[in-house]
Amino acid sequence: MTLAARDIGKRFEHRVVLRQATLELQPGEIVLLRGPNGSGKTTFARILATTLGADTGTLTLDGKPVRRALRESRRAIGFSGHRPLLYLGLTPIENLEFFGRLAGVADARLRAARLLQRFGLEEFSAIPMEHFSRGMLQRVALSRAFLPEPRVLILDEPYAGLDDQGSGTLNEILLEARGRGAASLLVSHDREHMVSGITRTCVMREGAIEASA
Amino acid sequence: MTALRVLAKDLKLHARDARFLATLSLFSLSLVLILSVAFGPLFRDPAREASATLWAALFFAGVLGLTRALDLESESGGGEALRLTGADAFSVYAGKATANFLLMAALWVLLLPCAAVFFDVGNLSIFPALAGVAVLALIGYAAWGTLFAALARGLKARELLLSILLFPTLIPLWIGAVKLTHALWAEGSIDAVRDWVKIMIVVDVLGIALAAWLYEAIQEAEE
Repeated sequence: MTLAARDIGKRFEHRVVLRQATLELQPGEIVLLRGPNGSGKTTFARILATTLGADTGTLTLDGKPVRRALRESRRAIGFSGHRPLLYLGLTPIENLEFFGRLAGVADARLRAARLLQRFGLEEFSAIPMEHFSRGMLQRVALSRAFLPEPRVLILDEPYAGLDDQGSGTLNEILLEARGRGAASLLVSHDREHMVSGITRTCVMREGAIEASA
Repeated sequence: MTALRVLAKDLKLHARDARFLATLSLFSLSLVLILSVAFGPLFRDPAREASATLWAALFFAGVLGLTRALDLESESGGGEALRLTGADAFSVYAGKATANFLLMAALWVLLLPCAAVFFDVGNLSIFPALAGVAVLALIGYAAWGTLFAALARGLKARELLLSILLFPTLIPLWIGAVKLTHALWAEGSIDAVRDWVKIMIVVDVLGIALAAWLYEAIQEAEE
């Protein structure tokens, strides 16, 4: 077992967003999480990525509660969400090197350069990102998530803003991650570009995970 | 190393934000100029008026600086990504506080000669003592300001909360800075107001100690 969320509950003020949502991610899996808008997918993804705390339920990594070893858990999980989670005043290479080094990646600059090259951003790698398009930011954001080669990937709408080439690169890297045993959770509505190796599909409705196929 | 990396990142972001740097320096220079015109041309107590003007300008510029630092962390989620690296929270705090300190120290270096010239006070021999006063005041500003900025981040009324928390906390530091700067410019010595040094050290140490204790919890309680 890699990452397991059990009976996760979350409310914002008076609105209940998650009701006993349960999901396990096993090594080498690529799990697709679908569901209507407002069903709680993004909140659930953020809780799995530890950017948001749950009100109830447990989140464990390899059987150990994530909150008890938050630092180690965060280094094992790569996350990309709706916001780029980058410093727009820095260049892509500076962002990736900064976050990589802080996450303990030894050859952060080299890996960052390789990822940017794969995503077709090498000619923009030394330009501050204030005027980058949504798709370009998404490529850098995904590079940040992949940089430390995490054991778990939580990617919320990873295809948003990406063209065919970007989606293709993302799928290649996802399959490579699966090859080295990483578990991935994709929250996405984009069936056209979806990676071919999905091992399981889950549906979230009204804050609970209804079906797993 | 984490603190140094965060410091370098923050300084780089500030250095590239020419609009912010221009606003900060023009705002504070204008304040010094306007107050020197308002108090002059015949100053009643130039040392007192100059020290009050210098530290008033630094106070308001400081709030602007912290608000900008807060925006840099929030606007595209950089601060959230920083948490996700698993980096040591106090090292992150130390890097950010040092960047805030250096920004204000640079502003002090810019404003000090302006205040000295406009109010016709001071001489070069007391510069080291004046710098010591500035270090004491700005350490406290950076220690408390960085802590409160983390507390306010993610809230809708964050600028308001930052000001509400920061103003009362900085008052003892700023009164001390005004009194010590005044004493140095008027008498060339701080003997008569030496107790303010102790008060400022206590406020500085309290800020750093509180951050060491609470910063991680505040960072995790953002949402």
